[in-house]
Amino acid sequence: MSPNRNTPDAPEGRELHRRRFLSAAALGGATIVGASALGGLDADAAFAAPSPSLDPAIAKTSFAEGRVAGINGSMLEVAGSHGEFHRVQLTNATSIWKLHPTTADAVEPGDGLYARGVEMPDGSIAADAVWVNIVNLHCTIRGIGRDRLELAHNNHAVVGRVVKGTTAASYHGSALSSDLSRLRIGQDAQVLGAWRPKDDSIDIARVSVGR
Amino acid sequence: MACGSTYLWRGEATWFCCGNAWGPCGSHGGGACGTCRSSANHGAWPNASAACWDITRPDLCGEGNIPRRGCGSVMNVRHQCTGATVCITITDCGPRTKSFCGEAACCNGQCRTNRILDLTPAAYSAIGSLSSGKLPVWIYE
Repeated sequence: MSPNRNTPDAPEGRELHRRRFLSAAALGGATIVGASALGGLDADAAFAAPSPSLDPAIAKTSFAEGRVAGINGSMLEVAGSHGEFHRVQLTNATSIWKLHPTTADAVEPGDGLYARGVEMPDGSIAADAVWVNIVNLHCTIRGIGRDRLELAHNNHAVVGRVVKGTTAASYHGSALSSDLSRLRIGQDAQVLGAWRPKDDSIDIARVSVGR
Repeated sequence: MACGSTYLWRGEATWFCCGNAWGPCGSHGGGACGTCRSSANHGAWPNASAACWDITRPDLCGEGNIPRRGCGSVMNVRHQCTGATVCITITDCGPRTKSFCGEAACCNGQCRTNRILDLTPAAYSAIGSLSSGKLPVWIYE
């Protein structure tokens, strides 16, 4: 498949538009704003535009994974899990998620993250989305408490914290509900949430159970 | 190997972590093929092998004819509504389809049911937001 570069709505055209926007945001000093003002775009909206199909050997967009080793202004220094090092530039176009959409001042050294964006000439990544501490785990429910779920994931015990006003459940594909009373010990569950580096537990955004 | 455009399957895609990682993902390792990495465009297929099929059992959800595609197979994954695509390499077995029979991912009023593909964070984030957790996709090879 070879998208027509001359067509405004062609996937590559949209990709280039996003690349130019992020490049401008990252390179234009005036547009890099203070941490508390970051996080203006929703991640779902950030990825609404189609992107071209990629050969596995070619990465047109950049992706970074690892833990935050340092924060220098709006630049995150990230130690990758396979020994690599990334510099992730946050801009006023970067969407940031940490249990819920948030701002750059919620990011802390020691956090884990996934970031997606465009590689800049200096090797940094201008991020259009950063997901901080996000996990999506297939678990078995081993215990149910008032404010927590005891989970087993890959034969490891994991504590899932129920966050009032945030944690929701989906039963058999139904719409999300704040009612957790139908969860049962022994059920398989998919838990999407935010890992807490301080105590290795998870703040649960939502838990989905099947039949 | 480049991705193709021949229809293979459609359904719900979710995401998972693998390889060296932080937090609870650190216990995953390289997956069934030994090469899976969260930062690469990789995926897990429910019929990567006979042993894999015994774990995932998509047939129990009415997805009985999913073809065998082993380690190294390449697939083109397209978001049903946005058209965003990503080319992936199969490096693991999954998802556990049988545990979530009938689960649907929808967009623009059209739903795809049953988990038939697990993507790494790199691959999933190429076509959607990780915080969505599941996406309706079409798969080509």
